[in-house]
Amino acid sequence: MAAPPEPGEPEERKSLKLLGFLDVENTPCARHSILYGSLGSVVAGFGHFLFTSERSCDVGVGGFILVTLGCWFHCRYNYAKQRIQERIAREEIKKKILYEGTHLDPERKHNGSSSN
Amino acid sequence: MAHAAQVGLQDATSPIMEELITFHDHALMIIFLICSLVLYALFLTLTTKLTNTNISDAQEMETVWTILPAIILVLIALPSLRILYMTDEVNDPSLTIKSIGHQWYWTYEYTDYGGLIFNSYMLPPLFLEPGDLRLLDVDNRVVLPIEAPIRMMITSQDVLHSWAVPTLGLKTDAIPGRLNQTTFTATRPGVYYGQCSEICGANHSFMPIVLELIPLKIFEMGPVFTL
Repeated sequence: MAAPPEPGEPEERKSLKLLGFLDVENTPCARHSILYGSLGSVVAGFGHFLFTSERSCDVGVGGFILVTLGCWFHCRYNYAKQRIQERIAREEIKKKILYEGTHLDPERKHNGSSSN
Repeated sequence: MAHAAQVGLQDATSPIMEELITFHDHALMIIFLICSLVLYALFLTLTTKLTNTNISDAQEMETVWTILPAIILVLIALPSLRILYMTDEVNDPSLTIKSIGHQWYWTYEYTDYGGLIFNSYMLPPLFLEPGDLRLLDVDNRVVLPIEAPIRMMITSQDVLHSWAVPTLGLKTDAIPGRLNQTTFTATRPGVYYGQCSEICGANHSFMPIVLELIPLKIFEMGPVFTL
């Protein structure tokens, strides 16, 4: 249904929507968080059952929610940091290309201040 | 533009829209977890063999299901307010365009560097060229530079309209007798589509908005600066 990708453009992955709305393939960090959450759910639920021999479904679901949320925030924080760094790098590259050899060259300013 | 049967957001063409997409992902993950919890509770309710009908209070559970939603709302509100205030930042626009809604077309005024004023009507189906988009393409596009802050002043000459371009994260009401302002900075060139977003009569669906975003060097050579 989507327009075919241009040559050289990364192909959009087929979307898998959990509960019909959460696109885990195309949302950054979603797949990673859900997988770790599922693992955490199994570990918490199974571990609780091993130690107590009581019904552990509630612990499993609670573990899923907490681990998914924790992984999500951690991953999104790192993703946001990465995006900021990419933006700074893009701006610096653009500035370098525009001002190379001129008095506004950032490298010349930096070398000048370090030699002083 | 949106492709057929698209339900998700369009790719971002401005930093604000990138932030909105990030916030949308964040809110959707919280909604997914709440739905999972509710589905689980529903499943338990439907499959339990316990039938005690004499429960009269459950103070601990009531405390949890009061405090937890409040925490969740704060987790959603904080990024939302951050973006809200980001949209109101003062950023010294390079160009100001006026957009005036009429029944059923838009008028654009480039008055910063000359007196360019033109109307933008939807192309009727009979006048479409091969490759043109039905109900979206217009006779005169709004040509703007990329990577330059642009201020749009939006108003209406008759009834309520709304000037919306989803890929830029813009939607501003055009209200007769009032001047609304929105600013944006486009990050990539291209042709971007929007549609009137406030019911305004019989042809409300037939007054689209088309922005043609081009590099600043090419924009400076264009008709706005040669008037």
